[in-house]
Amino acid sequence: MVHAIEVNDLTRLFGGKKTEPSVALDHLDLMVEEGELFGLLGPNGAGKTTLIKILSTLLLPSSGSAKVLGYDVVKEAAKIRPRINMVSGGETSGYGLLTVRENLWMFSQFYGIPGREAKTTIDDLLVKFDLLDKGDAKVRTISTGQRQKMNVVRGFVTDPDLLYLDEPTLGLDVNASLIIREHLRSWVKGNKGKTLLLTTHYMMEADELCDRVAIINNGRILACDSPKNLKKLISKNTTFSIETTPFGDVNGLSSLRGVTGYSAETNGEHTMLKLVTEDESSISDIISYLTQRNAKIISFNKNEPTLEDVFIQMVGRGLE
Amino acid sequence: MKERIAGHWRTFRWASWLGWQMEANWTNWYLFIIYSIAKPIAGTLIVVIMYLIVFGGVTGNPTFFSYMYLGNAFYIFIGQALFGTTWVIHEDREHYQTLKQIYMAPISLFVYLIGRAMAKIAVAGMAVIITLAFGMLALGLPLALLNIDWALLALAMLIGLLCMVSIGVALAGITFLTAKHGYGINEGVAGMFYLFCGAIFPLTVLPDWGQAVGRAIPITYWLEITRRAMLPNSGISSISGLGDYSNIQILSFLLLSAGIFLVLSIGIFKYADYLARKKGKLDMSTSY
Amino acid sequence: MIDWRLNGRAIIGRAYPRVLGVMREPSWILFDIFLPLLGIAAYIYYYRAMNAPEMYAGFIVIGGAMTAYWMNVLWSMATQFYWEKEVGNLQLYMLAPMSRMSVLGGMALGGMLMTTVRAVSTVLLGVFLFNVHLTLTQPLELTLVFSFTLIALYGMGMMFSSLFLMWGRSAMQMTSLLQEPIYLVSGFYFPVRAMGYWVALGASILPITLGLDGMRQLLFGASSNGFLPVDVEIIVLAVLAVVFFFLARYFLDFMETMSKREGRLTLRWQ
Repeated sequence: MVHAIEVNDLTRLFGGKKTEPSVALDHLDLMVEEGELFGLLGPNGAGKTTLIKILSTLLLPSSGSAKVLGYDVVKEAAKIRPRINMVSGGETSGYGLLTVRENLWMFSQFYGIPGREAKTTIDDLLVKFDLLDKGDAKVRTISTGQRQKMNVVRGFVTDPDLLYLDEPTLGLDVNASLIIREHLRSWVKGNKGKTLLLTTHYMMEADELCDRVAIINNGRILACDSPKNLKKLISKNTTFSIETTPFGDVNGLSSLRGVTGYSAETNGEHTMLKLVTEDESSISDIISYLTQRNAKIISFNKNEPTLEDVFIQMVGRGLE
Repeated sequence: MKERIAGHWRTFRWASWLGWQMEANWTNWYLFIIYSIAKPIAGTLIVVIMYLIVFGGVTGNPTFFSYMYLGNAFYIFIGQALFGTTWVIHEDREHYQTLKQIYMAPISLFVYLIGRAMAKIAVAGMAVIITLAFGMLALGLPLALLNIDWALLALAMLIGLLCMVSIGVALAGITFLTAKHGYGINEGVAGMFYLFCGAIFPLTVLPDWGQAVGRAIPITYWLEITRRAMLPNSGISSISGLGDYSNIQILSFLLLSAGIFLVLSIGIFKYADYLARKKGKLDMSTSY
Repeated sequence: MIDWRLNGRAIIGRAYPRVLGVMREPSWILFDIFLPLLGIAAYIYYYRAMNAPEMYAGFIVIGGAMTAYWMNVLWSMATQFYWEKEVGNLQLYMLAPMSRMSVLGGMALGGMLMTTVRAVSTVLLGVFLFNVHLTLTQPLELTLVFSFTLIALYGMGMMFSSLFLMWGRSAMQMTSLLQEPIYLVSGFYFPVRAMGYWVALGASILPITLGLDGMRQLLFGASSNGFLPVDVEIIVLAVLAVVFFFLARYFLDFMETMSKREGRLTLRWQ
């Protein structure tokens, strides 16, 4: 079976001629399956961009091996390039003198996409990313956020099998970020054989989008699993905060399957419940219990360790 | 007032430092020396070979040779001063993308540009000295250090460089408004001076209208007075077309025309600056 | 196996912004046509000041016209990877499946309009303003000399451009350093034979040397003091065109690998 990305004992050193070499990647191992939306989290200088550069054939490893779509990044780079693309946050690429459409068309030609097909794809993507009204604007006249959207569109114009996104929502407003995240999800899940490697500093984005997340620091992978399982590393319990109308036999909650503890506070017409469960599937029993006692649920929140908590615990500090 | 001067001096100092970093820290010192020697000499040899083809030897027309050689050597200042000032705008705007930050800072952009140009002028100075030394040692240029009118030379250089830098600043202002092939501005204006200012041939070779243009440009007088300072009493002015004027008169013409150009340059720069802000061109990207 | 369709599209894609740039920023008409004429005029008057034969003014005009192509090769193609690296486009070019020579070819093709306009206008203005006489008796040979010179020159430019994959400002300064020596040894403004036999022979490795020499012989006749017979020069230029093509390909691959090993391919502000 061909993995989308296969990294074995990968090391990359910089410098070392006059001083001690700096280790950007340190015997790193990683596997990304085809069809995954894979996240890479790490502080600045962790090695994320170095890894992406090696995987996109822009940099050679010092030792170890890496394969992309089954091809070796060192020996078979020419076979990889037609099938990948990369978008970095804060990119200033392109030509200010050209319009958005012209820049995108130019880049599409570097991948041999027939002109008409490219134009149709570009128009479709401009609509999807809410950039159609800027299609004929010169790039030097558009805002930073619009330019970043254009960069993201450029990543998709070539219809790659593997797309590297290095902080793609940097500089984008909430709405634009939402549109992009929607598209990322539908692109991977809606198309067979598409894989996405995403680095981001927005934990919520990684949590929401990624099938699996790897936490990298000092050139090493510290943890790699689904966001859910990563959070369980910190705490296996899930806490539910439920606000209901008052009901009788509150104490009976402790005897429910999976409930390890609870607190209840009644305040006039509302009861605030906090229930700690071993398994979040217990919620169905909890809701049944409340319903049988004619309690109306006013609000419901699930509190669990966030990915940020996981990150802080693993790395020792937050994202800078 | 004192604070303002101190501020300008600080800007000038740091801009000069930055200009030097960009000019010199790209290689080892010995490669830099080779570069600094080879480039001016190769440039000079083009006109020397052209001369040798026609005259068969340096002694074919020694007065003309001295005229040409000195003019060509000192012309290096012109090219570098213009380029050094103009290119800053293009470089900072398009490559390093720092023009916005510099523009916004509470410094005089005028002073900043002059500071940045200093490195190029310093390198040009080295190149001129090397070229003159080569001329003396290899080609028999009749220069004698003891005979040079150093006071006249120093005065001429001061006024001349100020004039050149101010023209450069005017061109820098124009660069605010042009695309990347504004490099052609430098080439064009430097070419204009090369043609009309008697750099390598006497003004009298040009048609009357050309001579009139040349006489309106301060560089013409600067080259003339510089030649006279380097080779006083050599008769070099007899072929220049300005031989009827005394040193004082030439200096006066230089000062007057330089003053006019200075005022014009500041005006052009300020207007171009205003237009660039109005049209939003300060951070435009024009590469293609 | 060369993917001709992919690389053909890539050439057109990269030429495209150049062509649009020419149309959208028409200031080049002034800066690239009229202003360079001033430098040419200076050299013509220089020769006239020395009472040189009038034919020498023609040498300046032809040299000036070819300067346009040389400058295009040097500054609009060879050094272009430096500028692309600075703005962040180089990594996108390297990521794409097209040949690096296609990118450079596209740059050259796109700049060809501006360059050719500059060259032709130099010749026309030179002929009309300075009364230069050109005699065209062998148009086929002239076309061959010109075409092979250009192909070889652009191949050489591609070879130089590989330096910028690895280095930045140091390569830029070295390129700048080459400018005047090449004007000198290639005989842009005088017969290269005047440099002496061995210098002329050594300089013949540069396509522009024999190109200019051949054009001078074909346009000004035997009195132009040519270096080698035109037929020989055509053959040598054809060989140089092939040699530089392969050298360009080799060096682009070699320097790309080296720069990726050193981590300099995407390193800005070197």
